Amino acid sequence: MADEKAGRPVPKPSVYVDTKPFWDGAKAGKLVLQYCKDTGQFQHYPRPVSIFTGSRNLEWREVTGKGTIYACTVIRVPGPGLDGRLPLSVATVQLDEGVRILGNILNKDADAVRIGQRVEVTWDRLSDDLQYPAFNVV
Amino acid sequence: MTAKKRDIVIAGYSETAIDFKTGRSAFDLGGEALAKLLAATGISKDVIDGLSVTTPLSECPNPFFAVYMTEALGLTPTWLNYGGSGGCSATGGVARAASAIRDGHCEVVVVLSADAPSTAWRANYGAYRSEFQDPPGVQGPPATFGLLMSRYNHQFGIKSEALGKIAITQREHALHNENAYAKFKTPITMADYEKSRVIADPLRLLDCVMFCDGANAFLVTTEEKARSLGITKMAFPTAYAEVTNFNGDKPLSEITETGFSAIAPKIFKQAGLTAKDICMFQPYDDFTIAVMMKFEDFGFCKRGQGSDFTLDTDLSHRGTLPLNTGGGQISAGQPGLASGGLNLAEAVRQLFGEGGGRQVANPKNALVTGIGVIPYARNWGTSAAMILEA
Repeated sequence: MADEKAGRPVPKPSVYVDTKPFWDGAKAGKLVLQYCKDTGQFQHYPRPVSIFTGSRNLEWREVTGKGTIYACTVIRVPGPGLDGRLPLSVATVQLDEGVRILGNILNKDADAVRIGQRVEVTWDRLSDDLQYPAFNVV
Repeated sequence: MTAKKRDIVIAGYSETAIDFKTGRSAFDLGGEALAKLLAATGISKDVIDGLSVTTPLSECPNPFFAVYMTEALGLTPTWLNYGGSGGCSATGGVARAASAIRDGHCEVVVVLSADAPSTAWRANYGAYRSEFQDPPGVQGPPATFGLLMSRYNHQFGIKSEALGKIAITQREHALHNENAYAKFKTPITMADYEKSRVIADPLRLLDCVMFCDGANAFLVTTEEKARSLGITKMAFPTAYAEVTNFNGDKPLSEITETGFSAIAPKIFKQAGLTAKDICMFQPYDDFTIAVMMKFEDFGFCKRGQGSDFTLDTDLSHRGTLPLNTGGGQISAGQPGLASGGLNLAEAVRQLFGEGGGRQVANPKNALVTGIGVIPYARNWGTSAAMILEA
């Protein structure tokens, strides 16, 4: 496995906005996403303001990690960070909390992944102290 | 919404040949496009008082690229625009030039796009991507389009032979295009399409565009000024609309619903035309599915009926809806972020009656579109559309 992930870059947190709660959550095996307190909606990827109101009245909340596959593809050609990962199952998952997130489907043959399948979050270890959300079909 | 105006014209166009890894720069290619534009229109560079350029992938670390370009070209514009919406920057540049001319900032504008990403790729999209888009492996547009196609297929069904027909038709058109990338000047068959490699299911290699090097330029001025310069061939941009980040605050909207559905009614109303009146369609083509979805968004057919419409319609340059008659970007090569200009140049060429072996009969108008930027798990960032009339 170490070899397979050799080519996969380990993301640096908080390059764009402060994303520390996402990464701390990931370390603890919790999927923590940005939440707009004014409208009661989640948003992902994290933004500097609420995309619903433009205010910074945001907080981070843990979500269940359960959802449904909204769109899915299989990446079949090499590219940066894809060494040893092909064919790679990628899905847009619509979480039950009403927010979409991109993630890999880890426990299913890539060709057997379908829109509408129920999934739950799992964790893909990228380095000794960093893990990234992915999904398993349940 | 603005009323229909016929005061501004595209009074000339030029294109370089499209090639791969030319070893040239955006400046050099831009210079070639300008020289060709001056030769085609017969004007002196001294009458040019406006310049619009497009952010090139190959020179984007230079925040002053637009100013450097004025120096490279020996121009002294009183209006300078630096377009940053990728494939919408050519039509958007023409529209912004029209506004600037109407406001009196300038009178004769060159809308120039030049890029050499196959020689030097210097772009870094940065932002959220290293944390949230790259880790699951969605580095490039093909993965996002694979996801988009999967959703479209789930909702409406995709007939792969329809996408194949788009690829084959455009390839046939590229054979008549002297500027098309030489390696693409071989006909393809449905068997070739169906055998072509799957990149990101269900997206195939022959659904995709390839980044090349190249440039294009347009002369934008008033009809009156064009005539005073001795120019007789002109096309009238009678309608334009764009939208960026459509549904951007509606994250649960269907990704198959695009910005074109919002701007199509606007431009038809502005031009006083309907989809049935359109003589040719020169849509921005990064992937075949985007072309098919635009058939629906512009009302050539109903939503979800893109496959059947494609299969039932003669899309050749002799057909009922001539499609990307120069081969589009998919079969002529995408000149980096000089893109959008390729589709626009073909529309102007056709309206000028200069289509040669691919000339559309009775070219009264053309519908041109642009697409800019592929965002996180949606469709595309900017949608732009322009109607040109003879």
